Amino acid sequence: MGEPAIDLMGLPDSGTRRAPSRAGWAALLVGTIVTGLLVWASSSVYDHNESRLLGLRVRDVGSVLQAVVPSVQTPLASAAELADATDGNAQRFRTLIAPYVGPGRQFASASLWPLTSAHLAPTVVVGETPELVSLPGQARAVFTNGKPTALFRVTGLLTSKSPRLGYEFRAPGVRGGFAVYAENPVPADRRSQYQSNSAFADLNYVLYLGRSQRASDLLVTSLSHFPITGRRATESVPFGDGVFTLVVTPVGSLGGAFFQRLPLIIAIVGLTLTLAAAAMTDRLVRRRHYAEQLAGVLDRVADENRRMYTEQRSIAQTLQHALLPEVPPELNGLQISTRYVPAGSGIDVGGDWYDIVAVNDRRVLLVIGDVSGHGLEAATTMASLRHAALAYAAEDAQPASVLAKLAGFVNRAPHGYFATVLCALADVDAHRLTVASAGHLPPLLLDGDESRFIAVDVGAPIGAPDQTPYGETVVSVAAHATLVTFTDGLVERRGEILDVGLARLRDAAMSAQLQLDDLVGKLASDQESDAHNDDTAIVGIRWQS
Amino acid sequence: MAELDEVGPGALLIETRVDAGGAAIVVLSGELDMSNTPSLRETVAAVTADGAQQLVFDLGGLRFMDSSGISVLLEAAATVETVQIRDPSPIVRRVVETTGLSRVFGIES
Repeated sequence: MGEPAIDLMGLPDSGTRRAPSRAGWAALLVGTIVTGLLVWASSSVYDHNESRLLGLRVRDVGSVLQAVVPSVQTPLASAAELADATDGNAQRFRTLIAPYVGPGRQFASASLWPLTSAHLAPTVVVGETPELVSLPGQARAVFTNGKPTALFRVTGLLTSKSPRLGYEFRAPGVRGGFAVYAENPVPADRRSQYQSNSAFADLNYVLYLGRSQRASDLLVTSLSHFPITGRRATESVPFGDGVFTLVVTPVGSLGGAFFQRLPLIIAIVGLTLTLAAAAMTDRLVRRRHYAEQLAGVLDRVADENRRMYTEQRSIAQTLQHALLPEVPPELNGLQISTRYVPAGSGIDVGGDWYDIVAVNDRRVLLVIGDVSGHGLEAATTMASLRHAALAYAAEDAQPASVLAKLAGFVNRAPHGYFATVLCALADVDAHRLTVASAGHLPPLLLDGDESRFIAVDVGAPIGAPDQTPYGETVVSVAAHATLVTFTDGLVERRGEILDVGLARLRDAAMSAQLQLDDLVGKLASDQESDAHNDDTAIVGIRWQS
Repeated sequence: MAELDEVGPGALLIETRVDAGGAAIVVLSGELDMSNTPSLRETVAAVTADGAQQLVFDLGGLRFMDSSGISVLLEAAATVETVQIRDPSPIVRRVVETTGLSRVFGIES
């Protein structure tokens, strides 16, 4: 028999690496998309927020810048009116303006220019000499262009060797009059001196004179590289009668470092979770796949077991039938029918057997037996008993004689079994039965309307340590009588006294007025449909007259 | 018998003792069939190996016995001088009578 040869190679080794499953890929894709959307959303919110903050900041800076305007306007306007009132008194002018001129004060230079003189030149200079003095063309442009307004005029002297920003004021409504002019230096490289201004340390800025953002109009900046790329905000800041254009850009993140890094954090966490989810999905899918394949293999094992069981059961039944006579002998005046029903379950061959021996053409010896136990051992014992019985029957067909010789045959050697055997010699013409039993169940006689078990003088089973000779019971039977012999499987049921089973058999045989073969077949099929666990042999004979 | 209630379906309970006369008593309760004859066979082998020549099977608590059980009793009968069956239930008694074993074993009610 051996182990079932099941192909387990179809089962994947759960340890081997294979390409990730489709579900794993899907989880990866979905996770990545979700992460991407979150990153996009957070960075877009961040972006929007930064732009909004920058817009607020540029207005702050613009306000600060505008706050400077009065500190320029007031001294210039006062000096201009004083000059008008005093007709350009130098001493008075110097006294007024001096506190505003010098390092760390409003102006690097302040001067008074009489506009009526033919030669355009300052009459009074406080602080440095104005750059404008060396630029007569520009000076003319500054002092003659435009009408006097209430505001000072801003002039950029940005192309000269030492660039300056000039402020000019003429008192409005004064004829001829004077112009007050002040200058401040602009750094040659335009780099701001005040980068560490704490209030605006988070911003870089560029300040242009006028509305354009040309490099030639650049006044001052905190940056070393142009133009500004990236996030920036622009604000036009009125200054005197002109305009400064302020461009700011954040140094870092205005909203804080956390919000700046949030998209990155989301990306890292999201992708990590995505990878974990994909790996877990893949693992689950793999396990389910493995379980399904395992179930498949188990199904195949079960199928194989069923197949082998069926095969062995079929072998057992084939063997059993090989050990039993194929065709009962033909005898005029006597019908014979036999059945063998294997046990309802199991693959063992049984130990039940029967034989029908035509002693001569008017007498037949019926032998039926049951060797204790099951399996090949019981079957081989049965085969040897069967052939021994056939041999003894050929010598002398008297039932008691056959049984006695069988008992002697078995008891010659130590043995671990016993057998119940019934021998019935039927005389066709004399309508007579001679029965001997070695521990076997009594035969059923259907005699006319009567149905009874023949009260046989039962001897010890073959193989039992008993030397008492077997007795014979002789019964006369009526015409058309039927004898049914059987083994215990037909009547024995667990938990039930034997007589109940015998009565059930008698009733079943009585209730049916059937041809012999149909009757024996019916008894056999009743047995088959029943939950029996023992094999069963049935032999029936019927007198035809 | 208390054992009848205690021993479950299909189970067999085996107890052995030796009586004053030197006979080995094997008390069986429950059901004796093909599934548990090997354990009974071992018990009988152990008892007879001790030299007992009188064997008594007390079957008072036995509800069922099939031909494989009979087989063990017959094997025992072949190895000792006498085998007695004590107090068989009607089911078991009927099996013993039907198989002609009343000739082989002494039966005590």
